[in-house]
Amino acid sequence: MTALISAQGLQKTFRSHGREVHAVRDVDFAVAAGEALGIVGESGCGKTTTARMLLRLEDPSAGRVIFDGADITELRGRALLPFRARAQLVFQNPFDALNPRFTIRRTLAEPLRNFGVPAHEHADRIAAVLQRVRLTPIEAWLDRHPHELSGGQLQRVVLARALIPGPALIVADEPVSMLDVSVRAGILNLLREARDALGLAAIYISHDLALIRYVCERTVVMYLGRIVEEGPTTALIATPAHPYTRALVAAVPVPRVVQDRASLPIRGSLSDAPPTGVGCAFRDRCLQAFSRCESETPALRGIAPGRTVACHLESGAAS
Amino acid sequence: MTLLEVRGLCVTYASRGGPVRAVDGVDLDVPAGSITGLVGESGCGKSTLGRALMGVLPDAGRISAGTILFEGQHIAGLSVQARRAVNWRRLAFIPQTAMNALDPVQRLRAQMLEVLIDRGGLKRPAAVARAAELFRAVGLDPVRLADYPHQFSGGMRQRASIALALALNPALVIADEPVTALDVIVQRQVLDVLRELQARLGLAMILVTHDMAVVAYACDTVAVMYAGQIVEAGPVADIMERPLHPYTMGLTHAFPDVHGGDMALVPIEGAPPSLLHPPPGCRFAARCPFAVARCAAEPPAMVAHGAQAVACWRADEAEDLRARAAMPTTWAA
Repeated sequence: MTALISAQGLQKTFRSHGREVHAVRDVDFAVAAGEALGIVGESGCGKTTTARMLLRLEDPSAGRVIFDGADITELRGRALLPFRARAQLVFQNPFDALNPRFTIRRTLAEPLRNFGVPAHEHADRIAAVLQRVRLTPIEAWLDRHPHELSGGQLQRVVLARALIPGPALIVADEPVSMLDVSVRAGILNLLREARDALGLAAIYISHDLALIRYVCERTVVMYLGRIVEEGPTTALIATPAHPYTRALVAAVPVPRVVQDRASLPIRGSLSDAPPTGVGCAFRDRCLQAFSRCESETPALRGIAPGRTVACHLESGAAS
Repeated sequence: MTLLEVRGLCVTYASRGGPVRAVDGVDLDVPAGSITGLVGESGCGKSTLGRALMGVLPDAGRISAGTILFEGQHIAGLSVQARRAVNWRRLAFIPQTAMNALDPVQRLRAQMLEVLIDRGGLKRPAAVARAAELFRAVGLDPVRLADYPHQFSGGMRQRASIALALALNPALVIADEPVTALDVIVQRQVLDVLRELQARLGLAMILVTHDMAVVAYACDTVAVMYAGQIVEAGPVADIMERPLHPYTMGLTHAFPDVHGGDMALVPIEGAPPSLLHPPPGCRFAARCPFAVARCAAEPPAMVAHGAQAVACWRADEAEDLRARAAMPTTWAA
């Protein structure tokens, strides 16, 4: 696999009340051209910070971001412009992602101008992208303002704005969480179609494994700043290897009559002070923790083709 | 036994364009000791209905028609004074964001004691003991009563606002999207707390949500709202398995199942109608793949079909419509 983008040893440390908070630690992964990767975890797990570092919206404290074979970690300002055209963010909240004074035409022309696309190409590019997100007939939409659009329509414009520079990668942070259930499916289907048609790579960030499963073939699970498991999405959901992944899978509500209401295989809550120093960060919440989990931080290791997990239980030492 | 009986309830908001009927002719029965889901999209009137039941509508809104019978008492037109005897004691509210229920500049203990002593008439030592008991009941360490809300995580704040709502042993709790803002694990834990308390205390609960999966997990019965009206109601198992209204059918195919096959999701194209000028017939007709001429002309009334009730002219053909609703091509715009 040739990676389109890769994170190599990414770290992000914030200072808070004089203490160091490790928001992201030792994060490594790669996304191939045309591949969709999900990053799943709860609030505060570092998934959004990781995505912001990949997009160079946030500087890493350590580690590298490699895009298309080039190290872009140190690039600044205008030097980042070619990268920005090729890696686009789809915003979470369509209700505040668009300039309320801009018509849709202007909203979509703005990135073209920023990336130096000749003006005579704008009309065709705008028409094509509106077709792609199914805001048709396009004449009916070009001169409208955001306040005239519903949430689902706004999210289509947000998606169109991300697609119009012709990116190779889109990053979507909870792309449908602000939308009504009846229109979520439409946006998710558009994202899938755009990927297939344009050969885009995508990174989706969500706490909802059901959504991730629908759009991503591979998934990494993050807990307190670290990757704890990675693998093909369907395998990871069918046979989760990390105890945290098991809890995440069990917690997803299912729209069915038969319900498994057994209590979740997890203790406490994320807000309880996490253990510091060496050892597994999940050990206080894990129902299967044993002595080694206190004394040694588990490293990611392979357990099956394409699957890795950071858990001592999986190394056979538990028995 | 029916604890709450709502008949023909209308809530009207004043707006620049004229009066908007956000809730339009709603009938709802909530049996004692069960959880009723009130499900629908934003703007369908579910939150307005919840607030009308609590008597806490915003200034622009008022109950313009209908009755609310709660424990044998008509509570729709109660004075502020008379409301005080009902709210908290018999009928309590859990708002969507727990921050709205909790005072940011007071410790949790002070807030709990205020409700228990001022509203509940408890003596201080009894109130202190009760506050600790309530915290334990929702899975919080009573030591945390000394904390301010900002020291709590989202899930803990939601637990604290549940404890506050339960302080005076209400018979009915109305929870407006109580888990929507929470991560999946915390969401599940809060739903388990609600279910456990409901079973142990014999509470009745109205759970307002947009999420059919939350309804399937937590509720016994459900009412589906669309554009200000209830379009289908009945036991959750029946409605998940055999929806009679095309909108409910659409909702059950509209979002992914974590263990499901690689089924294509089917969006419901279009948007709900403006409630300023609602269409004369069925309000879902413009988005409904099965609409016939009558649907646009004449509003269907709720009609009983076994344990379910539905407002749809084609309810007798529901079995056939369900098969067609499962196919994405049926819904393509």
